[in-house]
Order: sequence, then structure tokens, then C-alpha cells
Amino acid sequence: MEAKNSVRREFIFPPYLLLLFPAVVFMLLMYAYPFIASFTRSLIDAEGNFSFANYAKTWELYLKDILFTFAVTVFSTAATGVMAVLLAVYLRFSQSFISKILSGLYKVPIFIPFVVVAQMMNSFLAPHGLLNIALAKFGLINIDQPLQLFNFTGLSFGFIWKMIPFSVLIIHGGFQMIDDSYIEAARTAGARLFKVITKILIPMSKSSIMVALVLVYSQIVGTFTLPYMLIGGKSPTTITVDIAHRVNYFRDFGVANTLGVFSYFLVLFTAIYYLRSSVRKMAEDKLVQE
Amino acid sequence: MQKRNRFTILLLVSILVTGLVLVGGKKDEAAAQEAKVRLVYMTAGDVNMLALGQNVVGPEFSKKYPNISLMTIHTGPGNAGSQIIFEKLLAESESKKDVWDVDVAMVHQIFMKWAMEKDLLMPYAKDIDTWKYVASPFAKSSLGVNVEGYVMPMFHSQTALAYNPEFVKDPPQSYEDLVKWVDKNPGKFGYNGIKGGMSGVSFTVGWIYWKSGKYEKYAVTGPFEESEVASWKSAFEDLAKFNKKVTFTGGNVGTLDALNRGEIWMGPVWVDMFFTFMNEGKLNPKTKMVLPEPGMPGQPMYFVIPKKAAHPEEAKKFVEFMTSPAIQAKDIVERFNWYPGIDGSYLKGSIPQDTYAKIYGDVTPEDLSKKGRAFPLADYFNAILESYEKWVK
Repeated sequence: MEAKNSVRREFIFPPYLLLLFPAVVFMLLMYAYPFIASFTRSLIDAEGNFSFANYAKTWELYLKDILFTFAVTVFSTAATGVMAVLLAVYLRFSQSFISKILSGLYKVPIFIPFVVVAQMMNSFLAPHGLLNIALAKFGLINIDQPLQLFNFTGLSFGFIWKMIPFSVLIIHGGFQMIDDSYIEAARTAGARLFKVITKILIPMSKSSIMVALVLVYSQIVGTFTLPYMLIGGKSPTTITVDIAHRVNYFRDFGVANTLGVFSYFLVLFTAIYYLRSSVRKMAEDKLVQE
Repeated sequence: MQKRNRFTILLLVSILVTGLVLVGGKKDEAAAQEAKVRLVYMTAGDVNMLALGQNVVGPEFSKKYPNISLMTIHTGPGNAGSQIIFEKLLAESESKKDVWDVDVAMVHQIFMKWAMEKDLLMPYAKDIDTWKYVASPFAKSSLGVNVEGYVMPMFHSQTALAYNPEFVKDPPQSYEDLVKWVDKNPGKFGYNGIKGGMSGVSFTVGWIYWKSGKYEKYAVTGPFEESEVASWKSAFEDLAKFNKKVTFTGGNVGTLDALNRGEIWMGPVWVDMFFTFMNEGKLNPKTKMVLPEPGMPGQPMYFVIPKKAAHPEEAKKFVEFMTSPAIQAKDIVERFNWYPGIDGSYLKGSIPQDTYAKIYGDVTPEDLSKKGRAFPLADYFNAILESYEKWVK
């Protein structure tokens, strides 16, 4: 407390801040430098001159892929959010045997790497994969006209499957922090489950839900293996697949960096939200302390 | 608190012990090195290339030459793997060192364009005994770059159309027939586009060879002319129409998987992967292959020796060993299902007859020499890939 007050009155550089030096240098070297380098190199053409040629080419060849990436990411994040909240609500209220098993089991996908998820989805969603064969056995589809899932739908399915557990972990944690007395009070006043969810659980753990969504969103934007293995050869595909293509086949780091810059823009607003909310939270904590 | 102290002491002691062991180990190694030459071998390609170097030919080579050990370094699949090797050699060249770290490397065709431009390689191939077995045109020219004397092909991979004879009684013998076949059997031909692996790229390049009829100019003689690129527009628009009736698969392996599951009846594959899948029981053994007119590309992988390799004589011995008929037969053909880098006729006695019949069964040596194409010159190659993205929507 004292330290904080003195900081507010007049700023004296405390020597212990030097301890931050290695960490700050690490951040600058490993994060800030590559970020700035990729941005500047996106503005340099093959001859080494300053130009917007990379942006023009990206716009011409990859605009649809950028839009596709955005659409898949937004849809998958939203769907993950809704389902994660529902599952977290179930785990929060149910004390049954099933919910206890489920609360242990649901975490499994967190520990499965994306490349394994991609291979699983590859055989699960294939035209003659597990899902289509099961549906055909139940007579729901004709196996000669199977569901085609190596597209937007299948990709989103893979992302949602992988991301729900992670979000539930965070959101359920938020729900657990809410004291039972609020919920009981609402119920006593006649609130039904839906009202309890929308008026108490969600508003009171808004920050943990948003954190979960922000993290899910930015992870999906940057994922390479799942789209590569599921829809790599198709058009449209995702930005990450295009970046690999530019580098592997053309050694064209200019356009690859430009695509990278577009993906920064896709995550920029979530990063801003995340930073602002953490700053706000710090300010609130400070108020509470004072 | 006491617990933590104990833990700290334990940690310090274990660090100390590890350090001592490592230092001791280093000394032993140094002593051994005085007698032995350690050959640094960098290889691009899939993980099977690492397995080949580390587990198969490394030990075999050391058995024959007990004083030489092989250290295999794997840089990764595709052109990107070769690019890492190129960057390493370029860095060594720019550092002006007298002796370079890498003794011998295994690279893709595109590497030769980059490395020859920067003068990073040693002309060695004509000094070794096995040069006389080399007959492939790929040993003379790589994507239009003259590489004669700088490379020894280790193996050749070829793409072809694999098909399921249960459904395809009369496989199309040309691209033209294939288009008609796809019209009649929509969705039953599958490939992986150009971003999902090289088998799809190869199919696309073959399409342009067929439509333009200019294989010689694009892949052998050159020169590169921008006006050629503009002339492909209608060819790619036809490909876009064709694409509407095909199934897209998830990569080179994806095409083989889809064939095996019966989702598609035909698709372009790498011949070596086809046989490997079959040997491992991952592909219906009835599946067959055909190399359609006017041909599809294949590619060799090359041994190169860097200009200032530390152990050039040992490196030459290694390449000689790898391109000897015995190793070509046993490891390259039988174990890894590639076509040999040296002329196949020298292997006839060394390979069991049924293996020979199997790898040359569907795609015969005559097919290979007539319809086994090279990938185009680097500029045309890039232009084909980029035009696909521009015009095939």
C-alpha cells in the first residue's frame, strides 16, 4: 500500500525495476521485433524497394481467403461461446453422477494437439468417414451422397470441438465464483433458470466469458494444421495455409508478411479489448485497495 | 522452509553432476573423433529421409567404412526443407570460412537453381565410380539449370493417376479422356489442389503441358516469356470447370485415403507413397495406376557436396555407396519404393523379380521415359501456381 501511495505522489525510479530488464528485453526481442519486422517487410517488394505491391497481390489473390478466415473464426468463436456457457451452466448446477464424470472428461480435448485433432476430423468427417457411415446406418443419409464436410462446416466443427473445453474451463471457473446466495435470492423471487443464466450468471462473469472468447478467437485465427489438413487444397482456404503456400513454393516472404499483417488486423480489436479490460480491472482493484 | 532448502541443494547437486557427466562425455567423444571422421549429412524431404539416413544407410555405411560415421540432419519436407539447406550453405559462404560444416546434402530440384547461382557446390559427380550408371536426363539439367557434374540423383519419384479397377474398368489414357470420364462420373475424381501437397501441383502442371503442348519450352529449353502466361487463361478456366466436378482431398495422403475408403475412384498420387501405403496395408491391394498422355511430372532428389566441405573425399565415398546398384536395389527400390536414381537396367539382377514387376507393372520403364515429365523451369513453375490462384476460382 505504502509503495503504491508514494508512486502516486512523486515518481522515484526504484532500483528493483531493473529486475524487469531481462523480461522487457526478452519481450522486445522475441515479440516486438518480429512484429515490427513483418510489418515493415510487407511494404518491401521483391526488388527491395518500398511499395504496396505485396498488398495489391494479396488483395487480388487472397481477399476471399481473408474474408473466409474471418467468417470461420467469428462463427466458431460465437458457437463455442454459446455451447461453453450452456455446458458450464450444466456443470455449475448439476450434482449428478453424469455431471461428475463429464466434468473430468470434458477437459480431454485441451490436451490433444491440433495436428491430432486434424487427423481425427479427417477420418471422422470424410465422405465415407465415421460420421457419414453412422448416419447412413441409421438411414439418415445415402452413403452415395454423403455429407460433404471438408469445408466451412467441417472446419468450424473441428474448431468448436477443440475449443469448447478450454472455454468451459475458464467460464465454469467464473460461475463457481458466484455465491449461491445470489442465485437462491433470484429463485426465491421467482426467476426461472433462463433468467438466472441471463441476469445473474452471465453478467456476473462477463469478464471471464470475454477472456475465454478473446483467447479462442485469436487461437483460431492463427491455427494452421487443422485447415491445412482439412481444406488445404480448396479455395477459399485460411490465411495460415496461404502463408505456408507463399513461403514453401515461392519463397515470397513479402506477400507472406502481408497476409500476416491482415491476420494481425483480425485479432487487433480483440487484443485491444483484452488490454483495456485488464487495465480497467487493475484500476478497479486499486480503488478497492484504497 | 527446510523442505525448500533441501530441494535447492538437490537441484544444485544434480546440475553439477549433469555438468560433470557432459564434460566427461565430451572428452570421450573428442578422443573418438581423432580416429573417426564424422560426416555431416543434411537431408530435405519427408521424415522417411531421416529414417533412411539415420537408421538404414548410416549404420550400413559405417560398417563398410568403420572410420566414418554419418550424422544425419533433417530439415523438413518440400522445397522449404531444401531452402533451409540453401540458407545454411549461403551463410557459410558469406562468412568466408575456409571449411564448411555440411559435408553432403540431399536436395530438391529447385535448390540447384538457388545454389548454382551463388556458386555453393563442388563439381564431383564425374569423379566417382557410379557416374557411369547414371542415364537420367535429370542428372544433366534441373528445372532448366545445367547441373551436369554437380549432382547424383539418389532416386526418382513419379506422379501418376491411381484408380480403383472395381469401378474404373477402362481407365482414361490421357488428360483428354480423363475430362470426359469426369463428366460421366462427377465427384469420383479427387485431387488436392495446389496448396495441399505436390501430387495436386503435379496434376495441375500436367494439365498445362497438355493444354499448351509446350512441354519442351516450359521445362527444357525456355526462355521464360510473360506472354506465355497470358495464354494459359482459357486452360485454367477449363480447369476451373473441371474442378466443379471433382472432389478435393486433404493432401497427398488425403487422396490415397479417399481412394481407399471408396470416396473417389481415381486421383493423382506419388508412386512411392502408393506402394508404401500398399505395403503397409493402408490401400486396397487391387488399386492400380496409369500415367496419362501427354505425361505427368516427377522429380529426382539429388546428392550435392558443398564447395568447401570439410571431408570431400569421405562425402564422395558416401555418395558412391548410396548410388551403387546394391544399395539402390535394396534400400531405394525395395525398402522405400522409389524408382532408382541410376539406370534401372543395372538393378535387374539385384532386385527380386516380383519387386521389379511390381514397381514397373502399371507404369512401365517405357511409360516413364516417354511420359515421365520434369517440373517446369522455376519461372514457369511459379507462374503456373500463381495463375491457378488467379484464374481458378
